[in-house]
Amino acid sequence: MAALGLLRKHTPTLLRDGVRTSRTASAILTAPARWTSSSSSVNADEISHFNALASTWWDAHGSSRILHLMNPLRHDFIRSCRASSPVSSTSETKLRYLDVGCGGGIFAESAARLLDTSTVTAIDPSPMILAVAKRHAQKDPTLMSTQKLTYLNASIETLPIPTSPIEQFDIVSLFEVIEHVDQPAAFLDRCGAFVKPGGWLVMSTIARTWTSWFTTNLVAEDILGVVPKGTHDWRKYINEDELRGHFRGKSEWGAPRVVGVVYVPGLGWKEVSGSEKIGNYFFGVQRIA
Amino acid sequence: MDGLIRSRTAAAYVCRSCTRRSQRRLQRDYSSAAPRPDTYDVVCVGGGPAGLSLLTALRANPVTSHLRIALVEAQDLSKTKSWKLPPNKFSNRCSSLTPSSALFLDKIGAWHHLERSRVQGYQEMQVWDGVSGARIEFDWAADSSPAAGTTIAYMTENLNLTSGLLKRLAELGQVSVFDNAKVEKISYGEETEALDLSQWPVVHLAGGKQLHARLLVGADGANSPVRSFAGIEAQGWDYGRHGVVATLEMEGEGWGGDQAKIAYQRFLPTGPVAMLPLPGNYSTLVWSTTPENAALLKSLSAKDFLATVNAAFRLSPTDLEFMHTQGSGQTDEYAWRMEHTPVDHQAIPQTAIGVQEGTIASFPLKMRHADTYIGERVALIGDAAHTIHPLAGQGLNQGQGDVQSLSKTIEYAVTHGQDIGVRMSLEPYLSERYAANHLLLGVCDKIHKLYSVGSGPLVPLRSLGLNAVNAMGPLKTFIMNQAAGNGIKVF
Repeated sequence: MAALGLLRKHTPTLLRDGVRTSRTASAILTAPARWTSSSSSVNADEISHFNALASTWWDAHGSSRILHLMNPLRHDFIRSCRASSPVSSTSETKLRYLDVGCGGGIFAESAARLLDTSTVTAIDPSPMILAVAKRHAQKDPTLMSTQKLTYLNASIETLPIPTSPIEQFDIVSLFEVIEHVDQPAAFLDRCGAFVKPGGWLVMSTIARTWTSWFTTNLVAEDILGVVPKGTHDWRKYINEDELRGHFRGKSEWGAPRVVGVVYVPGLGWKEVSGSEKIGNYFFGVQRIA
Repeated sequence: MDGLIRSRTAAAYVCRSCTRRSQRRLQRDYSSAAPRPDTYDVVCVGGGPAGLSLLTALRANPVTSHLRIALVEAQDLSKTKSWKLPPNKFSNRCSSLTPSSALFLDKIGAWHHLERSRVQGYQEMQVWDGVSGARIEFDWAADSSPAAGTTIAYMTENLNLTSGLLKRLAELGQVSVFDNAKVEKISYGEETEALDLSQWPVVHLAGGKQLHARLLVGADGANSPVRSFAGIEAQGWDYGRHGVVATLEMEGEGWGGDQAKIAYQRFLPTGPVAMLPLPGNYSTLVWSTTPENAALLKSLSAKDFLATVNAAFRLSPTDLEFMHTQGSGQTDEYAWRMEHTPVDHQAIPQTAIGVQEGTIASFPLKMRHADTYIGERVALIGDAAHTIHPLAGQGLNQGQGDVQSLSKTIEYAVTHGQDIGVRMSLEPYLSERYAANHLLLGVCDKIHKLYSVGSGPLVPLRSLGLNAVNAMGPLKTFIMNQAAGNGIKVF
């Protein structure tokens, strides 16, 4: 049993790189590019590490396999969040997604394929990884023809804050991102501004425990090598009670939903109650106002 | 192939100017009106029971019904769909459908499209060793009958099944059917600036039609061209045996009457011979024997053929062996030898009194198992994945099990936004079916080999085995449940 950390990246924005802009994308997403490396909350040291991973991002049988295997659980978690609340962000059935730190687009592509998805806006500050994401989307003619998926070379700080619910999103996702961010509190507040009332801010990350240090840094990176070395900085891991604390007492957010997941070799990812305290977990919180 | 593409594209991402250049190309390509390739989510090659069941399952399920589907079949499917025989004529190609297969066909809405008057359930099995006489009687003890009912299996003409599936598929609609179609080749698609179809299989039909497949399903039989295209090897061996089939008219509707039909199987040193009930006074014969014996059987007159078939369930292996040395005259030989052979008539099939014209045929028996069922954008089902000895009547049911598993795998992929063609999406299908099929293939293979021995130490040992099984009620119930597909799907 191993709680393996996953690779995601967040690097300073260098250049806006959006080409395919969905017809239905809101005005904020077509705003002019800006140089914003000074305002980014992400850590510059990780650039070269993640750039080197770009070409293997979509190799589901290589170093990214565990990440690929986790992706279906993200959808299950989002569904369980939405099913848990009688309040919904939309009277319509189709959802608008904002995927922050989309990396190679594993989640973004899958969200765009769902029939109840209206649009997916996926942002990442690294042009190199975003190029991988865009090229990979071209392997699926349906993704290209439905034009639901829009990649933007941006960080959340460079996207203008929406001014009306129409510009906001039903789901804002931060999968395996927050552990790579320098100022998580400010980052979460910024992301929260993009969530439509009734919508959900969902994320997944790793608890900062001796177990996660052992499994993600020592075993996964150093001993087994199933996760590329240098992917994780254990000191930046965030515990679920710290995340709970961040949202506690903020009137616009409901009670968080937390699900711990454990990677079992041979069986894949499994939900394990209580494991959020020691390893990987999903965290979802609904914007109620 | 994969590695080549990867390194080539990876190189293009190294410098930003390259990326920008590719963006310009992208925009240009959008503005030009290049013809879009004809893409399908699923292209199924092969319109037999497995392929048709898969497409019906996908179309009948609201989660997968939006998928764009194409069917490619060499034969004329309109003939199959309108297939009809008079009530007293039966096709010689029949299969045994377990209740779980029937349940699945019902779930996808196909079962009631079969001509039910031509489907015959059976409730009892009689299996015995032709050399030692050891016997297992498979019938349901009063307290052990499963909740699902007491039917062990349903004998169905393959054409009745495919015809019913085609009717259901027509009712569901929205499948692009290419029948009378010859597959000229299967290649990979092209990589352009706007689209990268270099990992998409393309089925080229005679006449120039090209079908791009997100997922290419090989339901194209034991010599599957799809399997060859995917570079998947199949391991196995030929048994040096042929299966002789025929539609027979019996002296009555069976010892148990219409409501308690019985299947019979006798293990002879040359292979098992089975008499399986059809509606009314009819039965279907499946006789595994040597190619020489099969050739002889096919050359006999109807009378001599019937005498040899009746002998196969009654006379000793030595008597039978002699009858196979005669070019003709089996009728008299059988009558004379029966005078000296005591027979418990109720324990064997009723006498066959007629054979329907043109129904005697034979085919070589083999065991094959593909090394894997999946590749990138490829899945194999049914005989393309595995060919089994017919002695347990499991061939078609294994295919139905594949279809259930693959359609469930595709459903999961769709609900989780996965590309249904990529290997990772298909992995659950492989892990669910491969070991189960492998075990069943192995068990049937071993049974064949065990009972193909005429004398020596194995014979008393195996009769001990059969007798012991007969005495042990719970074990027998377990085996019957396996035959009926009520239990876990391994033997």
